[in-house]
Amino acid sequence: MNSGEATKPPNVSRRTLIASAALVPLSALTARAQPAAAMAGALSEPERKILEAFVDRLVPKDEHGPGAVECGAANYIAQQVAGALAAEKTNFVAGLAAIDGFSQRTQQATFADLSAEKRDAVLSAMEGGSAAGFANSRAVFSRIRRLTLEGMFSDPHYGGNTNFAGWDLIRYPGPRLAVGPAEQSMTGEIKPYRKSAWPQSSSQSSGGGHGH
Amino acid sequence: MATNLKPVDVVVIGLGAAGGVAVLPLARAGMKIAGLEAGTWMDPHNFRPDEIHNNVRRLVTTSAKAVQEMPTVRDSPTGPSRPRGSIHPMMNAVGGTSIHYWASHWRLKAWDFTARSEIIKRYGASAIPKGSTLEDWPITYDDLEPYYDMVEHEVGVSGKAGNIQGKLDAAGNIFEAPRRREYPMPPLRGSGYTDMMAKAANQLGWHPFRGPAAINSQPYRGRPGCAFHGYCSAGGCHISAKNSTAVTTIPEAMKTKNLAIFERAHVTRIVSDSSGKVTGVNYLRDGQEFFQPAKVVLLASYTYENSRLLLLSKSKAYPNGLANNHGQVGRHFFAHHQGGGVSALFPFDINVWYGAPAQSTVVDDFGDDNFDHSSAGFMGGSTLTAATEMHPIEAASMDTYGRGPTWGSKWKAFVRENAARWNTSYLQTSSFPYETSFLDLDPEVKDPLGDAVCRVTTGGGKENEQRAVQFAQKKMEEWFRAAGAIEVRRPSGAGGAPGLSTHAYGGTRMGDNPETNVVDRWGFSHGAPNLGVLGASVMGTSGARNPTETVQALAWRTAERLAKNWKSIAG
Repeated sequence: MNSGEATKPPNVSRRTLIASAALVPLSALTARAQPAAAMAGALSEPERKILEAFVDRLVPKDEHGPGAVECGAANYIAQQVAGALAAEKTNFVAGLAAIDGFSQRTQQATFADLSAEKRDAVLSAMEGGSAAGFANSRAVFSRIRRLTLEGMFSDPHYGGNTNFAGWDLIRYPGPRLAVGPAEQSMTGEIKPYRKSAWPQSSSQSSGGGHGH
Repeated sequence: MATNLKPVDVVVIGLGAAGGVAVLPLARAGMKIAGLEAGTWMDPHNFRPDEIHNNVRRLVTTSAKAVQEMPTVRDSPTGPSRPRGSIHPMMNAVGGTSIHYWASHWRLKAWDFTARSEIIKRYGASAIPKGSTLEDWPITYDDLEPYYDMVEHEVGVSGKAGNIQGKLDAAGNIFEAPRRREYPMPPLRGSGYTDMMAKAANQLGWHPFRGPAAINSQPYRGRPGCAFHGYCSAGGCHISAKNSTAVTTIPEAMKTKNLAIFERAHVTRIVSDSSGKVTGVNYLRDGQEFFQPAKVVLLASYTYENSRLLLLSKSKAYPNGLANNHGQVGRHFFAHHQGGGVSALFPFDINVWYGAPAQSTVVDDFGDDNFDHSSAGFMGGSTLTAATEMHPIEAASMDTYGRGPTWGSKWKAFVRENAARWNTSYLQTSSFPYETSFLDLDPEVKDPLGDAVCRVTTGGGKENEQRAVQFAQKKMEEWFRAAGAIEVRRPSGAGGAPGLSTHAYGGTRMGDNPETNVVDRWGFSHGAPNLGVLGASVMGTSGARNPTETVQALAWRTAERLAKNWKSIAG
């Protein structure tokens, strides 16, 4: 009409859409969610060790199956603070350093070297806000716990939920594009559908170059 | 220098839930429309079943411009500002928030339009909540009914009528106001969980029904029925079964060739002349400045932005902001009391993973004035909603209901057993405007262009609404327990009551009196006769249900008024 640039809706037929929904190329949005080169150099080796030792106590491997580490939670966190969550990386790393500092002061050892019981004592003090000389310990605890849950239960595309172990743990039957009445009933088992909503899950490709 | 464009008949600012509907009757009537949208068309390929993408990082619902123009919030004129967080759901896109909303589509009740006089009649003048600026709407339910009907069919709504011309049907909502005919589509199917909740409500003697939704329950006008995949909230629909304006009224209007859409058009001012009429709008697009002359301007951005753009658009005729010569722009702002925070744990898997928030069982027995309030201690009421759609991170982030620690092996055993056994509820409480709640321009915080952002003054919690919310929370607990819940978490306070929510109303209220209202009974400015305002910003009450269908019915009515009275309005 005027200024010559009136726009039209994207021309997507239903058929194309459904056909392509499971195999869309990593597009512009991918870049937003998962900037390139997100993996390498996210955390230093000592930081990564503190993180793993921490999430390992948040959700331990036990008779109920893999824990946070085995579910890729630390991997998720390391990737994301180097990528989509880069804005909080400085704070996050400072939190890891504070955990280690608290451990050195109270247990005379680096956090990653502590026994499970001693690590649990650190977590309890942090959660309870009673970690002396560690002012924001509760906030650090909450943030790592939150990111651990994201790492365990998110789509494997983001580097966690290895082999869908997180979804298996809570009986999440998996994202699917169409769901029938039987799959919404309260009687009978739903067969889990174990596929990423993204074309190729990063957890199934490289682990992010960390060698873990 | 701004480039002067060729004049059009109508400029619509914002092609969301409201503007996206108004363009259809205008285009069909032959008006030449420039639709200015700050966002872009969204590509349905980017709507995927991914909790991180949609719900954690909100990549469908967030847009850079909306973030930069996020209102600031304080509870009182003397109090400190709250940390500037997200005020979901401001966003920019063709289709706007109707892309990602739950699509619960309701008509208000007759009571909602005349709450003030109804309260006085039944309970006396002293029952009007203190400090409220509640007025009867200038129009009644009956005035709006034809437009509700029109929107239900043009947009596409699934539901079961409870009252067709006075004939009640208990399969629908028997408390609803009379409608002329059945919904165009049957309600969305039930799930195991919503059926269980319906049974429990029946046992309590209540009247449950399936909530109405602007989601196809069957193929409708060339688009498919819902696939119930469980990623409806904060995500767009991958098969266009959710009836956002981007897939319904906007494409329909484009077929007439009378609507031209300009994406990435950032409207900076509405321009008015010395006589007080508006002459067009200034906008920026890709760094270039344009002036779009128009005979009529329809302002249809979000509630915060409607007031903000008027206040920014000063002129000789309007030294305090467009349409603000009585100081009413920004007044009578209120936020819907919604949420409620009641959750429950069951001793069995409830399978709420899939579905949609609009796949729901709703109870309206305690809505509005559906029960005697003589000893209730508050006016108004709530709908209670039990719905599906749970995501895995959300599920594992569950309350432990005092049954165990929040981490370690015991926590792992707890979520292993219970993450599939709990659910939240959704309560919506009728909310009123108050003297102490308003919008204005922030004197300090600006957007990147240097324009002041909107400032919300909430006025803090309102006693009437807090009591109403607490009443609803207790009813929700009763409902959960009747369904077999072994634990119920009910907040001690009023949940989300302090005055901000995803449903924002007012700021340009509709009413006959220009001294207390911004627009007249047709939605046109009392000051500038060729300026119309669309959106929940014109609503003076919320009712106990989602606003969008009312917003769209009002938008249609304003647009039709314009088309039928073109000469007198456009001058």
